Amino acid sequence: MSDTAVAPTTESPAVAIKKVRKKRPIGFYIAASWIGLVLFLGLFGWILPTPKWDASFFDSLGVGPFSKGHILGTTQDGYDEFAGLVNGARISIFVSFIAVTVGGGIGSFIGITSAYFRGTYDKIVVTFFNILLSIPNLVLSLALLSVLAYSDENHPSSTNRRVVVLIISLIVVIIPILGRIGRGATLQWSSREFVLASKSMGTKDFMIIRKHVLPNVAPALLAIGFLAIGSVIIVEGSLAILGIGVPGGASWGSMLANGRGNLEFSPWEVYCPALCIAFTVISCNWFGDYVRTALDQREAKI
Amino acid sequence: MSPLLKLEDLNVSFATPRGDLRAVKNVNIELNQGESLGVVGESGSGKTVLSRATMGLLPSTATRTGKILYKGEDISQLPRDEVRQLWGTGMAMIFQDPMTALNPVRRIGTQLTESLTVRLGMNKKDAREKAIELMKRVRIPDPEGMLRKFPYQLSGGMRQRIMIAIAVSCSPEMLFADEPTTALDVTVQAQVLELLTELRKEFNMGMILVTHDLGVVAGHTDKIAVMYAGDVVEYAPTRQLFNNMKMPYTEALLKSIPRLETPTGTRLPVIEGRLPDPTKNEPGCSFANRCPYATDKCRTETPPLTDGGNQHFYRCWFPIGGGK
Repeated sequence: MSDTAVAPTTESPAVAIKKVRKKRPIGFYIAASWIGLVLFLGLFGWILPTPKWDASFFDSLGVGPFSKGHILGTTQDGYDEFAGLVNGARISIFVSFIAVTVGGGIGSFIGITSAYFRGTYDKIVVTFFNILLSIPNLVLSLALLSVLAYSDENHPSSTNRRVVVLIISLIVVIIPILGRIGRGATLQWSSREFVLASKSMGTKDFMIIRKHVLPNVAPALLAIGFLAIGSVIIVEGSLAILGIGVPGGASWGSMLANGRGNLEFSPWEVYCPALCIAFTVISCNWFGDYVRTALDQREAKI
Repeated sequence: MSPLLKLEDLNVSFATPRGDLRAVKNVNIELNQGESLGVVGESGSGKTVLSRATMGLLPSTATRTGKILYKGEDISQLPRDEVRQLWGTGMAMIFQDPMTALNPVRRIGTQLTESLTVRLGMNKKDAREKAIELMKRVRIPDPEGMLRKFPYQLSGGMRQRIMIAIAVSCSPEMLFADEPTTALDVTVQAQVLELLTELRKEFNMGMILVTHDLGVVAGHTDKIAVMYAGDVVEYAPTRQLFNNMKMPYTEALLKSIPRLETPTGTRLPVIEGRLPDPTKNEPGCSFANRCPYATDKCRTETPPLTDGGNQHFYRCWFPIGGGK
């Protein structure tokens, strides 16, 4: 934002910055603080004096919110709701962050290079993306999870293995989404004259991609990346409800899945994780939108 | 000594759904060190394609035949990596629109030093000093402050000066200026042209100045090639061309420049009609259907490039002022 502050010469930079800040919508602050809260809980939740998330409190089964020792109550099996949410934040952040950065990285690399070099490589990539996109996300994840991390009473697969396979299946879902965005934006930017100008000075192709294409494509990728975090959380929740998410009620999705049978006795078991998922997804969408408009300003000025 | 640049039968065509589009046809051009050649023609006559084809910057849908001799060596068949070695240090290009030829999200300084560090292997400090020196050379006020600015903070003329500074940063021997003044307003045009001529003399560069304005090339070139529908229709030393033009098209181009002497309200002469369809290859002179002097012979037989003496070539059956 310091660049926008330079433009008006009659005002001091501080005044200009203030003006830009004023324009931020209230939704941005709500979204940013919720994301901040979830991040804090996920990264530093273990320092909070919460009860253990994976221990059952037999003396207080299914107590309501705001009861002594259990601020959001417990489940019918005696698990502390708040501790579960804090732990779920950790899992959600871990899963969605890894899936989106790795999947987004691979996807946008493939997308950008295919749009830049064109030719047969581009055709293969587009076909590959279309095939991936034509398979419904849930079916794809289901198939991968049940093949690679099959689990029953005789052949239990470890939690780690299931989480890894879950992340891999989410990465496969993310690759074509960000790949197509990266490809589309690169098609537009790499035909601009400054790319040709840099080429005419003898700059190598990957240097041009890094220095000229990527900075222009990045806003679109970042915005969609934030949206993707939201959808990854939803996919994870859906998988949990189908019974193949992170096992043992560790994630928000599996808390929801475990609690849905007790809706009439202890509705907070469903509401708490559901609201967490909803808020996080909405915040990611808002934040992504804001990032896009904020980074677009420089281009809009020209 | 072999000339700096020599094009022999250069042809460029694009594969389109309607058939091959011939953008440049059998062009022969020669340019010596320190000389400047003006390529003139209306929109769609193949000027830009000619300069890009010479550098090798065409899109993959284009096919190019013929020889491009750079310092006596044919570079048209070289692999891309070897041609790239020439770009920047051997041949450089200035683009038409300085608004789009600079990356909007990177600072002037990084764009200006990019080729210095990448191509010449300078370290950051040297590159920065060289960049400031270059900006002083193209007369940019406050070069140190300019390093930190973004393109949107600069006027069109300033951006074009930056583009020129970038193009000459690796001291090329051959400079292609693709309509360098079209996007600028008239007061700045003269300054930019003056600067280009000055730099050409200082670095002893060969320059190809592509433009649609005969007035622009008059004072800044040694030779002029007039292009029409992909053909070079007249090719002569500048003085010779203006004193004794042979081609009706060149005459028509010159007539359509607005003049101060003409009384207010006079209609500006235009060249009626349009360029022929470049995907069709019809016999006859390509300018015949717009030419005031055209006869039946012009419509049925293609005129060859005729040598009129004094290095003056033209492609016309009935040149103005008669043949040689």
